[in-house]
Amino acid sequence: MRARRLIRIAFAGPGAVVISMAMMGGMAIWVPGGAAGIDNLVLPLVLFPLIWAGLFFHACLDSRLTRVAIVALTLFALHAGLVAHRFSQPPAAKEARQ
Amino acid sequence: MIHLQKDDTKLMVAVHGWSGILLGLLLYAVVITGMVAVFAEEIGIWSAGHVETRSAFARPIDAVVRKLAARTPERYRRDVSLFEIGDHRLGAFFHDHEIAPNGQPVDRGIYYQLHADGSIDKALEGTGQQVFGPRNDDALSSFLVDTHVRLHVPDPWGLLLTGILGLAMLVAAISGVLIHRHLFKDIFTLRRRANPVLVDRDRHSVAGTWSLPFAFLLAFTGSFFSFFSTVGVPVVAMAAFGGDQQALSDAVFGSPGKPDPSIRPIGNLDRIAADAARRTGGAPTFIAIEHYGRADSTITVFNDPPAGDIEPQTLVYRGATGAFDRVKPSIGTVPSAGGTLVAIMAPIHFGNFAGLLSKAIWFGLGFAMCYVTFTGLRLWLARRRGDAGSLAWLERATTVIGLGLPFALAASAAGFLVTMPAGGAVFWTPTVFLIAAAIAIVSGLLARSNATLDHGLRIATGTLLLILPLIRLAMGGPGWGQVITVGQPIIAALDIAMVAGGGWMLWRALGRRLSAAAVAPVLEPAE
Repeated sequence: MRARRLIRIAFAGPGAVVISMAMMGGMAIWVPGGAAGIDNLVLPLVLFPLIWAGLFFHACLDSRLTRVAIVALTLFALHAGLVAHRFSQPPAAKEARQ
Repeated sequence: MIHLQKDDTKLMVAVHGWSGILLGLLLYAVVITGMVAVFAEEIGIWSAGHVETRSAFARPIDAVVRKLAARTPERYRRDVSLFEIGDHRLGAFFHDHEIAPNGQPVDRGIYYQLHADGSIDKALEGTGQQVFGPRNDDALSSFLVDTHVRLHVPDPWGLLLTGILGLAMLVAAISGVLIHRHLFKDIFTLRRRANPVLVDRDRHSVAGTWSLPFAFLLAFTGSFFSFFSTVGVPVVAMAAFGGDQQALSDAVFGSPGKPDPSIRPIGNLDRIAADAARRTGGAPTFIAIEHYGRADSTITVFNDPPAGDIEPQTLVYRGATGAFDRVKPSIGTVPSAGGTLVAIMAPIHFGNFAGLLSKAIWFGLGFAMCYVTFTGLRLWLARRRGDAGSLAWLERATTVIGLGLPFALAASAAGFLVTMPAGGAVFWTPTVFLIAAAIAIVSGLLARSNATLDHGLRIATGTLLLILPLIRLAMGGPGWGQVITVGQPIIAALDIAMVAGGGWMLWRALGRRLSAAAVAPVLEPAE
């Protein structure tokens, strides 16, 4: 019981911070640029506090800890993976995408 | 109404309480200085006795800027920022861009502060962070804003701290909604004749419930601003531009065009300012010149939002000819959802989108937030008064900060008014604040009871507020006749506000003495 509580606190505390930062980076890659080509750059910045709050309250309120872990870790893996993939691309491909 | 299970509600009550207790006192400091900083511009006018009402951009600036450019080293003539300082004087920052060792783009150049006649008052050379400090005539408003933005903790730690406080406020606001089983009923429940603690709890609930949307907006926009440069830009720049923050800044804020470095004199700035005023209905608030003296120069003119809108207006002119080019969104080159969202964050946070009316509403809601934070802390402590572990020290600390901070802010205003004429306000404004804060802390340690401390700080603050207008006048500030004649009634209005605020505090303190029952109540559960 105590371990489950600590895991929940870890997801609500440092976990929510790390995952929301990873999401901010990942969103810069998958969010469409929009008419001005900047939505992918500014929307993650705007949404960061809300993403953090969403992760925090989900970790606090979801009765199933497994679901908390699956949602949080999936979001983290997807976005961190996107950023890692961007970094693994050769510079020419990166410039073409930008 | 949101129905949570009993355990979830208990958890949310704990989250609501602890987010307030752990960070509540710091949050209170940020909110109260933010509340006052809503009127930073007006406080600047009032405290320094500024009587000029015409914008610096409504007077000729073209010849002045050309003279400044001629005396500025070429390495700093890449870009120029023009803005107002003090009593509608012109400030001009000639600068180039460079990357700091930490990877952040910084501006380096010469910042000219000008007199009303266009002659140079001061010329400061360095990075933007080094040259844009408080001046003698805006030391009070700068002090208020800096306390609110970073609690005087050096960057980036101060911004990170206030960002975390913003998140704590977001948590308190959302959990506040979740724990209210009867949200709509609570909005209207004020039992005036109940147990004093129930009365306080009702007031806390009513003030908190009405200001919940505002608290959410302020926490959201405030944490956005705090994390924008410290966390957000480095992370997004890393993901999108391999860490190049200047590239991100150019993509979001720049005016892209075909480079043409050939030399071309700049267009007439007076004609540009007049044209912008004609198109937008008001004088510009900021002018940015990119590539000064080059054929590809662009001049971006920023204006207040038009009536009925909250997004500022931005006009772009061709630098070489001074011809109007286009209306540009504040963020990005064409209108977009993300650009609009970012552009409205500042007006929402500062409450300056509809002049004094929106500022007054923001001030009032900020006051409600202070009240909610302060009474929330006191209710939390009252619930635990009978517990084994004594929290008397926290009760004292809450009073010292909750009432000592307004006292120290009023004292810093008095310090500013006394020392500004002799040119010592930059040093003495924060120093007097610290002295007053020390007095409040020592009083907290020595006072016989929390009630005595509470009473004393209220009287001291009320008295200070009451005499601030007299100090202003005694130190040579403009009188009511003069300020009304020149069209600067805000000075008289703030005098009245200070007297009314001080009188109200004294009336509350002297007219309604704290009874023993009020300080040792029997509390009902908060929820």
